[in-house]
Amino acid sequence: MSKPVIEVKNLEKVYEGVVPVHAVNGISLTITQGEFTALKGPSGCGKTTLLNMLGGLDQPTKGSIAIGGVDITTLSENELIDFRLRNIGFVFQAYNLIPVLSAQENVSFIMLLQNRPKEEREQRARQLLEAVGLGDKEDKRPGQLSGGQQQRVAVARALASKPQFVLADEPTANLDSQSTANLLDIMERLNKEEGMTFVFATHDDRVIKKARRIISIEDGKVLSDN
Amino acid sequence: MENHEFESGKKYAFMIFKVAWRNIWRAKVRSFIVIGSIVVGIWAGLLIIGFSFGMNNERTASAIGTTTGHAQIHHQDFDAEPLSTAVVADSSGTVALRQKVQALPFVSGTAQRTVLGGMINSAKSARAVRIMGVWPEEERIQTTLPDCMVEGDFFEADGRNRLLIGEKLAKRLGLKLRSKVVLTFQDAAGDLSRASFRISGIYKTLNATWDEFHVYVDHEDLEKSLGTPLVHEVLVRFEETVDTQEKANALAEVMPAGLAVKSWKQVRPELGFADDMMAIMLVLVLGIIMMALLFGIINNMLMAILERRRELGMLMAVGMNKRKLFMMILVETLMLGFVGGPIGILLGDLSTRAMMRIGIDLSSKQDGLAELGVQSMIYPEIVPSYYLIIAVMVITTALIASILPAIKALKLNPVEAIRGI
Repeated sequence: MSKPVIEVKNLEKVYEGVVPVHAVNGISLTITQGEFTALKGPSGCGKTTLLNMLGGLDQPTKGSIAIGGVDITTLSENELIDFRLRNIGFVFQAYNLIPVLSAQENVSFIMLLQNRPKEEREQRARQLLEAVGLGDKEDKRPGQLSGGQQQRVAVARALASKPQFVLADEPTANLDSQSTANLLDIMERLNKEEGMTFVFATHDDRVIKKARRIISIEDGKVLSDN
Repeated sequence: MENHEFESGKKYAFMIFKVAWRNIWRAKVRSFIVIGSIVVGIWAGLLIIGFSFGMNNERTASAIGTTTGHAQIHHQDFDAEPLSTAVVADSSGTVALRQKVQALPFVSGTAQRTVLGGMINSAKSARAVRIMGVWPEEERIQTTLPDCMVEGDFFEADGRNRLLIGEKLAKRLGLKLRSKVVLTFQDAAGDLSRASFRISGIYKTLNATWDEFHVYVDHEDLEKSLGTPLVHEVLVRFEETVDTQEKANALAEVMPAGLAVKSWKQVRPELGFADDMMAIMLVLVLGIIMMALLFGIINNMLMAILERRRELGMLMAVGMNKRKLFMMILVETLMLGFVGGPIGILLGDLSTRAMMRIGIDLSSKQDGLAELGVQSMIYPEIVPSYYLIIAVMVITTALIASILPAIKALKLNPVEAIRGI
């Protein structure tokens, strides 16, 4: 049996206001290594809030999140930043690459933040860009790449830090069907060949079809988990 | 391991510089405006510095050259009350003293003078004056007063009891060339003595106040009334007008008892005061320029932070710590100064050098400037020490300007920033 990568217990997130909003309301789940999981649900169901908390970007109101055995809810802000750098890969809906750096530099930058040696940075950036089919575009800046290509660079960047898992928030929302198919094929291959764990927050059926585990969320609760 | 971390740190710093440099040119127009304002600010600052130094040095050089010298030696009682009896030394003593002074390596020459307080009477009026009994040949070598003659000559034509008078005093007394005047002064014994003189020259220095209060006569003519040569003042010229106070102090150390040395700043305290005031004013002017730049740079960087919220949010999300994020903003802000600073200094330097050749013509303000002891053509000066001061001020301004935008960036919530909220 694969070891658990993410263990969530009784997670709650309440946004205070005139009427408090329970964005996440008592979710418990475990994600093991090598999973290709989609969190699905309608807009406002709490899937992005859950994803942000799994990524250590948002603090829960209650409950615990253990990543690789470390309860990240107990970490200080600086510890959490360092933890994210070394353990979690992110893919965002709007790619969010650094526009003034080339594809290769965008991928290397994360490794620079990790103080990785030069040879490793260059070799891994090249390998990852080849793995996402952009071996010939490493010198191109984001503005010279299509949306699909930029998102593939973002995937390579997410994997550059050798994370325990990758969180992808609506990664295909801005892509056409061909680019979406390419991106999903690449992520599926990385999942199968390298055992990388992917967790998506999405309502894109094309992503959901590829996922091997689908967790449906509604009103901040897990509706189904298949 | 340490080597690899050092290499990584170096590479990271290089990457930060590269990102900062490229980021500057993302918003070209905005960056050009900010860099342009830095360039113009520094350029204007250097021109003001060059102009002020040029004007002040002109006034100082004029005062030193025409009348004051770099230092003066008097009997210590002369400063308290310039009586005719307060002489430097007798004739042989003065010769020995001057030889001793001229042996000092920084001294280029000396001139001796008889200085008497007295009155000048014309047919129209009378005024209190200081009578300068000079050795014309020495004055010609050690001062530029002979170049300041507007009428007549500097004791060149033959004659007796010749007198040189300032243009302003001549006008006040209604005197012209060859007019006759009577001087009243103390003789060697302290008794009042009178002698008539004829105006053989009218001079005009850059210091109208000096011109109004000083008349020059040949010491030989004065000695006929005094009965003996009296030396009340030894003017000392240095090789260069630098460290004059230190040189005056060194001069004082070799003085015999009873004699006092004053540097030009002590002889003419208003010139020294103008020097000190100018330094303060220039720092104030530069400070005001830097304040204006400060707000421009802050505004530019705040706009840049606002535009790049998503990017900064992503960097925070993926694990860029606050120190590194702060450094990134800091480097980018400094980069604006590093681009604008050298261009501004170069332009300022070239403009000042050009004006040093051409000069700035202020002849429309000639009379007012003369009251200040300044001539109407100003030749700016290059002051290298101020280049360093400006460079430090620009870097400091950029450093201060980076703080607010950097704090703004650090306060971003990565989740909200990534979504562009």
